[in-house]
Amino acid sequence: MAILSPYRGKRILIIDDVAAMRTSIRSQVISLGIDQANVAADVRRALELLQSSRFDIILCDYYLGGSTDGQQFLEYLRTRKIISRAAVFVMITAEKRYASVITAAECMPDDYLLKPFTAETLRSRLDRLLEKKLRLARIDQLHDQGRWSEIIPLCDQIIAARDKFLVDALRVKGNALIMAGRFEQAIDFYRQALQMRSMPWAKLGLARAYQGSGDGEQAKRTLTDLVAETPRFLAAYDVLGRLHRDAGEVDEALNILDRACELSPNALARHRAIAACAEDVADFGRVEQAMSTVLQKTRNTPLRDVDDYARLGNAWTELGDAGKAIALITEARTSFKEAGETPFLAAVEAVAQHQAGNVELAQQALARAMQGSTQTMPEMVKLAVAKACLVQGRNDEAEQMLKDVLQNNPERPLLHAGISRMMQAHGDAARAESLIRSSHAEVIKINDDAVRKGQAGDFATASAMLRAAAERLPGNLQIVANAAYALFLDVFMNGVDAGKLHDASRFQQMLLASDRRHPKLREIAEIAAKVQQKFNLPVSS
Amino acid sequence: MSFSEIAALTLHDVKNRLAQLAGRAEAAGDVETMRDAIAAADALTRLLVYYRAEIGSLGLNIDAHAPADLAAELLDGQAAGDTCRVELDCSRAPTLWFYDEALVRMVLANAVQNARRHARTHVRIEVAEGDDGLEFLVRDDGPGYPDTVLDHVGTATRVSRNGTGLGLRLGRRVAEMHENAGQRGQIRLANEGGAVFRLILPR
Repeated sequence: MAILSPYRGKRILIIDDVAAMRTSIRSQVISLGIDQANVAADVRRALELLQSSRFDIILCDYYLGGSTDGQQFLEYLRTRKIISRAAVFVMITAEKRYASVITAAECMPDDYLLKPFTAETLRSRLDRLLEKKLRLARIDQLHDQGRWSEIIPLCDQIIAARDKFLVDALRVKGNALIMAGRFEQAIDFYRQALQMRSMPWAKLGLARAYQGSGDGEQAKRTLTDLVAETPRFLAAYDVLGRLHRDAGEVDEALNILDRACELSPNALARHRAIAACAEDVADFGRVEQAMSTVLQKTRNTPLRDVDDYARLGNAWTELGDAGKAIALITEARTSFKEAGETPFLAAVEAVAQHQAGNVELAQQALARAMQGSTQTMPEMVKLAVAKACLVQGRNDEAEQMLKDVLQNNPERPLLHAGISRMMQAHGDAARAESLIRSSHAEVIKINDDAVRKGQAGDFATASAMLRAAAERLPGNLQIVANAAYALFLDVFMNGVDAGKLHDASRFQQMLLASDRRHPKLREIAEIAAKVQQKFNLPVSS
Repeated sequence: MSFSEIAALTLHDVKNRLAQLAGRAEAAGDVETMRDAIAAADALTRLLVYYRAEIGSLGLNIDAHAPADLAAELLDGQAAGDTCRVELDCSRAPTLWFYDEALVRMVLANAVQNARRHARTHVRIEVAEGDDGLEFLVRDDGPGYPDTVLDHVGTATRVSRNGTGLGLRLGRRVAEMHENAGQRGQIRLANEGGAVFRLILPR
């Protein structure tokens, strides 16, 4: 019956470390009419195949023999977007246990298959999974492209049909509402879903919607309930840990993440999150522990990440073990080759070599770290490079970078404390406080100067000053808010300018995305409405 | 390593071997051996799940599923030469219901396996929404359950129609773990012109 098979033309990948299993599953899928069946004995080979061609179906054994398991591999594939949402991923397991802890929805396989199974069982399951993928094909496609608002009406169609994909559509819709920044709607939506039945995913969604709307306290309460009700729902621990960390409650964050690790010790992202919390409070013993775990699980596998080496190396320099740090960095260099030449790793090396007394090597490493633009570096890298500068006495450059970080994060006391600690340890203790004060004062001055210009009627200069400041400090909400307001006001007074209007609404959106309850939002909306009326502009959605 | 870890690893190994055996039998067209190998592996799976339930570490993963899809899977494995026919009626099945599909599948597959072993000519599976919730019914036209089984569903002392009674015990566990709004799932056994097995899952 192979001629009529719906599997004709489908590409399938079988990943299993046991040769006989690969052969057996392969002959089963061929009996279903699949003519393009590839096999991989390990993660490395599987990754090569997945990166070089598209597969419709992936059958992956949970236990892969090496240090990487099927779940870690799936998380890697999803977070790096190596496989599309249209691909069916089935985890083959020897026992049911693996299915009993629930991670984030995007990192769950489409189904679990208990082995052994017959070709017929495999077909039944794949039939169902492909039917679902077909029904959700357009939604999956938009999802891969991040086109959230277009997903919502498509979900509504399925919800209205009330067929067996109803709950799938509800799930996707809630997430799309959040991703589109429609938090108030998402809150209503999840509340309604929860009236239908208490479903953990809906409660998690509700918490995320609260978080997005700026109500972190309500989000934390919802998640704390959820963790108590459904202790195996690990995704809730991760979001709760993140919320605590953002609120500066590092002990609570570590506590909740530790509990999740007890239930599921293999999730790499969670160990990295633990390291990030420990870095916040300079607990480098903890960082060492967490990052060593990550390295132990990923070293010599394709899942290894050069940033993990840099973070562990950094922890070792903080713990005073430059030798270990240097050995690790050397290992990373050998392992990653050119891909190991990152500013982050070079900055950590600069500190380690300096500590080890190798002044010249330290200077060379720092020069490599600062080859590109330091302005566009991620915050963690900027801090590492600034530290290397401080260690080598390049204080002015260090302070410039640290000032950027401080001004971009006015509301993060733990970060300020960390920078203060760094400067005390590697630079000048007295300068630490004054840098924090002057960084703060500088922002206030830009703001005040601009306001004065505006009061004097020079709206164009005011908006230009704030616009430049907001570009430099997108994390500083006060500046972003005032830039949006000043640009709208400038247009209102001086006439339509497409570029200014574009940036005004861009800053308005940035503010909305960060804090739905920002006090300046109403004023901005009012002046935007006045602009729209005065110049008879089309109403933007 | 704890006993549970050693057991899990051993199980993985034994099931791999059974899978290979089943694979070879399937490739050679030896349906009988393939079924036996899979039935043996299923028994091991039930054993481990039961153990986890006993020590309280069996987590339930409740989600929305289509009962008709699950029931359709139970028909798999029928061969042309089989003397026993399995038929399915999903006309009164709800579109979606909330349960742990892997566990419910395990319980139902075992019930169907038992029914086929004792049926004379056919087994009937019915899925319907009733007053108590969702009902999966498996009926055979065999001699029915012995009284001892009817009296002591899933209790520790009795043995089922044959085998160890593990399947029934596990079934009862799984049913009871399904709880919503004060209602619990249950297993009901009856003799109504043959053995009738009912798994009822709350709304």
